[in-house]
Amino acid sequence: MPGSSAPRVNSLALLILPSALLFALFFFLPIGLMAVMSVLTGNPVVMPNVAFTTKHYARMGNDSYYLEVISTTLRIGLWTTLVALVIGYPLAHWMARIKSRTGHALLLMAVLAPMLTGIVVRTFAWMTLLSDKGVINQILISLGLIARPLQLMYNEAGIIIGLVHIYVPFMVLTLTGVIGRIDERLEQAAENLGASPWRAFLEVTLPLSLPGILAGSLLVFALAISAYVTPILLGGFQIMTLPILIYQQISANFNVGFAAALGMVLLVISLSLVIAYNHVLGLVSGQRELQ
Amino acid sequence: MTGLVSPQHTQLARPVELAAASALRSQATPRRWGRRLYLAANIAILTFLLAPIAIVIVFALNPTPFIQFPPVGVSLRWFEKFFASRDFMQALLFSLEVAAMTTVAATVLGASAALAIARGNLPGSRLIVATMLSPLMLPAILTGLALFQSYVLLDVGRPVWGLVAGHTLVTIPYVVRTTLAVLHNFDVRLEEAAQNLGASPARTFVEVTLPLVKPGVMAGGIFAFIVSFDQFPVSLFLVAPGSETLPITLFNYLKFDLDGTIGAASVVSILLAFLVVIALDRTVGLRSYVKL
Repeated sequence: MPGSSAPRVNSLALLILPSALLFALFFFLPIGLMAVMSVLTGNPVVMPNVAFTTKHYARMGNDSYYLEVISTTLRIGLWTTLVALVIGYPLAHWMARIKSRTGHALLLMAVLAPMLTGIVVRTFAWMTLLSDKGVINQILISLGLIARPLQLMYNEAGIIIGLVHIYVPFMVLTLTGVIGRIDERLEQAAENLGASPWRAFLEVTLPLSLPGILAGSLLVFALAISAYVTPILLGGFQIMTLPILIYQQISANFNVGFAAALGMVLLVISLSLVIAYNHVLGLVSGQRELQ
Repeated sequence: MTGLVSPQHTQLARPVELAAASALRSQATPRRWGRRLYLAANIAILTFLLAPIAIVIVFALNPTPFIQFPPVGVSLRWFEKFFASRDFMQALLFSLEVAAMTTVAATVLGASAALAIARGNLPGSRLIVATMLSPLMLPAILTGLALFQSYVLLDVGRPVWGLVAGHTLVTIPYVVRTTLAVLHNFDVRLEEAAQNLGASPARTFVEVTLPLVKPGVMAGGIFAFIVSFDQFPVSLFLVAPGSETLPITLFNYLKFDLDGTIGAASVVSILLAFLVVIALDRTVGLRSYVKL
């Protein structure tokens, strides 16, 4: 804010109030209540004598099943992030470097089109592709490459394929922004000095885009570990992840306290990822997260 | 660095033509292959992104009740079944209603908040922005769970306003972001000029600021509509049985059936999203609003 020495709060600041109220009542209060519920023995409204307890957390720590669920969730998140990075980077690089405006617009459309197609629809699309009688198996069988259908879904690989498809646009858009800000002349200089394009990429572009890689990975990981639809449908109700377990505790067991405790675990993981993400983007440029 | 440069020095010492010729001979072929590999990889990735959407459309038009590839014909029977189904139609209408209410709420609240942040000289504006964008990254399933628990505790049931509030929360970040982008890009001197010419702050706001901010607000509103229309995790916890949104109905259907009706429903929602995006591109242009 150049020129104005001491900016004073003015009446426009009052416009924040409706949103502040919404966030207070429908975001912070509920999440606070969730934190409280996770350490109570029951619902304080209907039960007269609820007490403080750590049993919900103890249950998680003592039963290897729940630790297994958490580690499955994190493993699926890690693989999704890794694959999304490997296939998102080339596309982001192309989008950032393409000269033609039409080409750029078309690429952008191609990246946005899946994003604008609902999660349920895209998961359904992968079911038609990956199931035993799905498109991929039918093609492979008709080509005589395989005799019996391959097991492409109802396992972690199927979940990861679906999640990558859903979250790779976030990786691409994050990376495109960062790669686009790397001065192309740096690569050209490296090539003029005799480096091959590949070497120029490895020694110039890749290191400079590390913040984008980190930010994109954090974002995709945070989204992937909180996915519900894709793991449940492509996992065929066989593979248990944290969000599936949380919903199951509510819908089947109505164990609100335990669901809250599981929710708190997911919240703490996600919150650390969000803070790291903002920090990384803040490093790229001070004002980035304002946009 | 010296290691990288020194072979080139010996080359540069030779006559220029010689250097150029040897560079051409040694580099042209691998360079062309590298370029081809780069394009091939990218086309493969684009295929991965777009093929599933194409498959859904093929499946919706395919007359057989199971997936068949290559398709055996074109029929609209699944669209007929979709539009004749009471469950799907109710869900579609309810989704449109919720998305419309959410869009209004998110646009009004989000745009006001963005104005306050950009022009109100609020202390701690970075923290406020981070907070307002946080529903984008915090798992929406937690927003759903936390709201569900609160509604249970307060014994309010599962009202429509509760669902809309949840949707508004997860769509507000889009409006805030697009509006802030416009507010940061536009020249503050335009407002100063209007005031120097004698306009009151209120008049400056209505006649200068608002028209300039409008594209950003509209873009955010359109995003909010699409996100609400496709929203799943918040709705999962907050819809009342019997009045479900389209994604929830589709999900419940998918658990048991995999016929073309889902394909038709998917095509309808894809078309809707595309119409909205085209509208977005026509009115404000896409490029500046998809930065992450």
